Amino acid sequence: MALEKDDNKNVGQGAGAPQETESDLRQARSALLNILDDTEMARRLAVEERNKTLAIVQNFSDAILVFDENNSLELINPLAEEFLNAKQEDLLGKNMDELLDTPKTKALMEALGIAGKDFIEKVFRKEFMARPDFYLEITTAPLIMDSQPKGTLIVLHDITREKNIEKMKTEFVSISAHQLRTPLSAIKWTLRMILDGDVGPIASEQKEILEKSYSSNERMINLVNDLLNVSRIEEGKFLYKPEPIQLEEVINSTVNALQEEAKRRGLSLVFNNGGKEPLPMVKLDKEKMKLAVDNLINNALKYNTTKNGKVEISAEKLDDKQLRVTVKDNGLGIPAAQQARIFTKFFRGENVVRLEVDGSGLGLYTTRNIIEAHGGKIWFESKQGEGTSFYFTVPFA
Amino acid sequence: MVMAQKILIIEDEDIMRNLLSKKLKGAGYQVSTAKDGQEGMDLLEKEKFDLVLSDIIMPKLGGLEVMERMNQDPGLKNIPIIVVSNSGQPVELDQARRFGAKDWLVKTEFDPQEVIVKIKKILGE
Repeated sequence: MALEKDDNKNVGQGAGAPQETESDLRQARSALLNILDDTEMARRLAVEERNKTLAIVQNFSDAILVFDENNSLELINPLAEEFLNAKQEDLLGKNMDELLDTPKTKALMEALGIAGKDFIEKVFRKEFMARPDFYLEITTAPLIMDSQPKGTLIVLHDITREKNIEKMKTEFVSISAHQLRTPLSAIKWTLRMILDGDVGPIASEQKEILEKSYSSNERMINLVNDLLNVSRIEEGKFLYKPEPIQLEEVINSTVNALQEEAKRRGLSLVFNNGGKEPLPMVKLDKEKMKLAVDNLINNALKYNTTKNGKVEISAEKLDDKQLRVTVKDNGLGIPAAQQARIFTKFFRGENVVRLEVDGSGLGLYTTRNIIEAHGGKIWFESKQGEGTSFYFTVPFA
Repeated sequence: MVMAQKILIIEDEDIMRNLLSKKLKGAGYQVSTAKDGQEGMDLLEKEKFDLVLSDIIMPKLGGLEVMERMNQDPGLKNIPIIVVSNSGQPVELDQARRFGAKDWLVKTEFDPQEVIVKIKKILGE
């Protein structure tokens, strides 16, 4: 409209001008009208695109919330309303602090960790229990247009089904592992009693074969125990009963129990703590910590085929808050490319698998869980062909 | 002549019950067996035992219930009990201790010989 007005004005001003000017003006007018048409078309396209985008957002299979650059809620799709059990008109325009005070969005805002902050941190696949038996996974992403921050996108993905399947899987493992232990213990006791001569004398060849089946059965028992421990960790049933204790005691008894195994493998196993004054007490679940230390030393022994192979353990005060334990071997080492994965469930090093050394791939997963549950940290240094050192810390009691 | 001490084994699994019985007889004890907690209680009410070895999970009457009933019976509450179980779950262990179990053996972790060692320790031999 504005253009046309200008146009008329121009025509008016040009009244009485030569004919070429009039035709020029006519041309200019139609050019302007063309531009107007194009603009209108572009506008219509933009509206169409906007509606399309909105339709996608509104019908998206994940819940979406968008905060503007001032951290006020700008958009919330119907699924987000459903997940939060709230109406958009009650939420739109509110800023983060206001949403933190709104009962229906309080838990989500807390999960986003915005309290005391004026921005939304980047979150990737963070688990969030919105209601009992209703689990969401939160992912946030900054909205950046022309390298300017324009707000934050929050995506909530329903993972209730995955969580339920995971729970069923854990329960399945737990139940089957329990069921497996019954026949395994019957086999263990039968073989042991035959070997001990409780049911009559046996020939040396028979004894040799039975010893082998006995140790196969022991391997099976260990595997089932590893599975049970993992499923207990995942079910949250891996209970800790900490008591004040000398860590050296735990290490000493584990090292002593493994001396025979080390000798069998031709390795030296030493705990370098002789003559030193006792370390400060730490608060530990003795049985669990034994399991963690046993896993580390066992790995160091198992994956060591070096001549003059050795495993050295030491424990010392790291600072005035914690102890550090080192389990150092000169064995196979962990391939550099696989080091990032070693604490994952079922992980086994490719160089180790080639050796066909038995193992469940659950030991380090369990060990890390135990150390972290005690408030400690675990890490390692390793070079393939040279050996591995595992370190872990335990805070003082 | 000194009378052999009497031990009651309550265990639902045939093979384990027979192995335990054989092991204990071999060590010179007099042994009676029951294949569930109910049978165990019946025997406990009829005969006098010096020690009870009991499983936890059994049909009819479980090991924890047996211990609970023994605790309520003045004639039985002083008989030492060793639990022989397939599980070493801290929750069960705690419960058994509260019911007065003297010791706990996880079947997959202990050898039969160690049962004898534990029994001897408890009976003060």
